[in-house]
Amino acid sequence: MTASVPTLIEFFVLAVATVASGLGVIIFRSAVHSALSLILTLLFVALFYLQLGAMFIAVVQVLIYAGAIMVLFLFVVTMLASENTGDVTEVDRRPWQRGIAATLGFILIGALSYLLFTGTAIESAAPTSGANGLSQNVAKLGNTQTFGMALFHGFSFPFEITSLLIIVALLGAMVLGRRTLTRDGQH
Amino acid sequence: MYNGIPISWYLLISAILFTIGVIGVLVRRNPLTIFMSIELMLNAVNLSFITFSSYLNSVDGQMFVFLVLTVAAAEVVVGLAIIVSIFRTRRNINVDDMNILRG
Repeated sequence: MTASVPTLIEFFVLAVATVASGLGVIIFRSAVHSALSLILTLLFVALFYLQLGAMFIAVVQVLIYAGAIMVLFLFVVTMLASENTGDVTEVDRRPWQRGIAATLGFILIGALSYLLFTGTAIESAAPTSGANGLSQNVAKLGNTQTFGMALFHGFSFPFEITSLLIIVALLGAMVLGRRTLTRDGQH
Repeated sequence: MYNGIPISWYLLISAILFTIGVIGVLVRRNPLTIFMSIELMLNAVNLSFITFSSYLNSVDGQMFVFLVLTVAAAEVVVGLAIIVSIFRTRRNINVDDMNILRG
């Protein structure tokens, strides 16, 4: 099966945009610019999800990630920047770290792409076939219903554990975020 | 059905994003930017999960992405609360200065 030309063009445009905005996250000096670049990256990744047929996950990505999580980020960035003198200071006291980090990064990307283009396990993995496959279920039930059926049948225990995790995170954030007042009103 | 683009191309994009995230964590000194780099790495892994889900014609990859999203949200909430409380006590959030566990 070969990809159609519009799909290929879509892929390359998205690939360049995603990598460029991802680089923006670590290149921009200001934390606000990094956050905006990260929002762009998340939206491009959501478009990748759409291209791969994961509609529900793409919408969740835009709502939760690019929406809720990044708003929280920008909230903290602006809060710290307004209390601090101007922007958050970034003084580099260990400049030699940059060279080491770049070297390690090149080794990592080299090893990963070597594995990708020489490994045989990926291409020989067998798709789920027959009536239980994803595309058959999507054709029968629709994307969101397929997702919901799988979530509440096969993955109900991880789903319940998730609720516990969220409660713990909520309590943790409240404990960390509170200001303890002493008797004379100082904090 | 899977759209026919070789699976290694998607995985290469995922690998590039992951490496950008790793370099960001190693290079940047601002904990907020380090957090953003971690989000970048999580997204790179999510992208390969979705790729495999589509390629293997199985819904399991999408489940994992959903759970990773939840964990990422919880992690960001706690992490940002820690950063804010460090900033309150030290008025400075350069990671080079954070060398004690005591408040």
